[in-house]
Amino acid sequence: MEIGSLSGALYVAWKDIRVYYLKAPNLTYGLIMPVSLYLAFGVTGRMNPETLISGLVSLVILFGTMSIEAVAVVMEKQTRTIDRLLVAPLHPMDLVLGKALAGAFLGPILGAIVLVPLSVYAGASVANPILVFLAIIVSGFTFSALGVLVSSYARWTPEAQMYSNFLRFPMAFLAGTFVPLESMPPFMAGFARLLPLTYSVDALREAMNFAYPTATYLVDMTVLTLASALLVLLSTWVLMRSLD
Amino acid sequence: MTDAIQVEGLTKYYDGLLALDQVTFSVDEGSVFGLLGPNGAGKTTTIRVLTGLTRPSGGRASVLGFDMAREAVKAKQRIGVVPDISNVYEELSALQNLVFSAQLYGVQRSERRTRARELLESFGLWERADSRVIHLSHGMRRRLTVACALVHRPQVLFLDEPTTGLDVQSARQLRSMVGDLRDTGVTVFLTTHYIEEADQLCDRVAMINRGRIAALDSPEALKASVTGSRVVEVAFSRPTVEDELEKVPGVLEVHRLGDRYRLTVGSEADVFGALVDYGRAKGLMIVSLNTLKTSLEDVFLRITGSTPVPELDGAEGHRRNE
Repeated sequence: MEIGSLSGALYVAWKDIRVYYLKAPNLTYGLIMPVSLYLAFGVTGRMNPETLISGLVSLVILFGTMSIEAVAVVMEKQTRTIDRLLVAPLHPMDLVLGKALAGAFLGPILGAIVLVPLSVYAGASVANPILVFLAIIVSGFTFSALGVLVSSYARWTPEAQMYSNFLRFPMAFLAGTFVPLESMPPFMAGFARLLPLTYSVDALREAMNFAYPTATYLVDMTVLTLASALLVLLSTWVLMRSLD
Repeated sequence: MTDAIQVEGLTKYYDGLLALDQVTFSVDEGSVFGLLGPNGAGKTTTIRVLTGLTRPSGGRASVLGFDMAREAVKAKQRIGVVPDISNVYEELSALQNLVFSAQLYGVQRSERRTRARELLESFGLWERADSRVIHLSHGMRRRLTVACALVHRPQVLFLDEPTTGLDVQSARQLRSMVGDLRDTGVTVFLTTHYIEEADQLCDRVAMINRGRIAALDSPEALKASVTGSRVVEVAFSRPTVEDELEKVPGVLEVHRLGDRYRLTVGSEADVFGALVDYGRAKGLMIVSLNTLKTSLEDVFLRITGSTPVPELDGAEGHRRNE
């Protein structure tokens, strides 16, 4: 019996969740760096809670999903378990999609761990929890797909980690997470518009402040979805080239 | 008989280096086909092309009538692949690995666990079904890898160096399984550098060297193709000098194999007496003296001019005593 593309991707995703994601060190690693940044920037009290929390949640999703997925493919290449997936009747894109979906699964878990207690503590309001949830899922998928791209290109784990940090740290500081885009010089604000994290932070902020999907929210979600599709296509191409 | 696998003019370059050079062969449905050659000869590259893991630089390959360049997914649905290393997920249990394979190959949900149990039992792993793979021995992992490749009842099974690094018992179990699969109509394509393995298991053998097929036929036909000189194996009570042994009348060539010397001779009858005289002159006692049938190794040596490979299991000879 032939399996459908989505079924194959979901089996790969569920396998990745069990093999790589549901491990205490992996879950906590995604939290340490963003929480440290929050303590460094947030305690000054110069930002309103909704802005700060939306930035922090996006960062947690970025660090959590990307750090795991950045090693998930490269480790599979090293142990040759990737061959098991590639000789199965799956299109290589289903494989990449499955790996990115695993990140989309982790996003809400990490997001909830940060969002709920901080919102209660800081007295922040969440205008529309469903829109927040959707933004978290789409952001998780985008960052995870970015991790798959890095991992597909790298040949060994330290190399993947290096590329991953190379992308994450500039994003963490330049995507309007702690400094609003409006206060940045035009060239920096323009650069920030090229970073997927910018749209994730923006979408979350909109969903926390408004009970209905604003035009900004819809644009942010569209950009993240298109970025995800592009990253999946690019990752598939890079993965197949790296194996040839 | 129809062809399960067809390969025509297959060529593969890696970074400008030629790994496969115009490889052409076909494999009958329901047969066991062996690709024999030393490390780096092109065996694994051939399997990688045939299983869709690598695209060829030239030529074409089809499996069960499906072109691997255009219809790989359809072919993959019907094939099982056992790579040269055991690539099961260490973090999952034996049972979880099998169920995951069953999912990937579209085995019906109701059948997955039944099929997994059936395979775990037949491979002697049922008692370790819930053990994480990281806690299994090398032999158990290898058996689990084979079980994963069989979970969807493939029509063609690819085995890349299936017994390398296995203990004698596990290796024999695997070879016996190959025979059983053939009996059920499964086509088996295996690569090996163990000559005796190819001789025992295969209906047809292709010898590959430096990316080219050097010979292709049934093992017996290949052996029959080597005529002329005969081979004698002698062991003395202590080592002797190969160069001196080569000067014994009737001896054409000498190869040392552990404590034995393999001599290529013109006629066994003439050389026996000469060897006894040589031993007497050197103060050596002859411990064993055998004439040997032509083996696949002789064919390989004749064709490629190089000694191919280690002996099977480190214990079994790769020639049969006459």
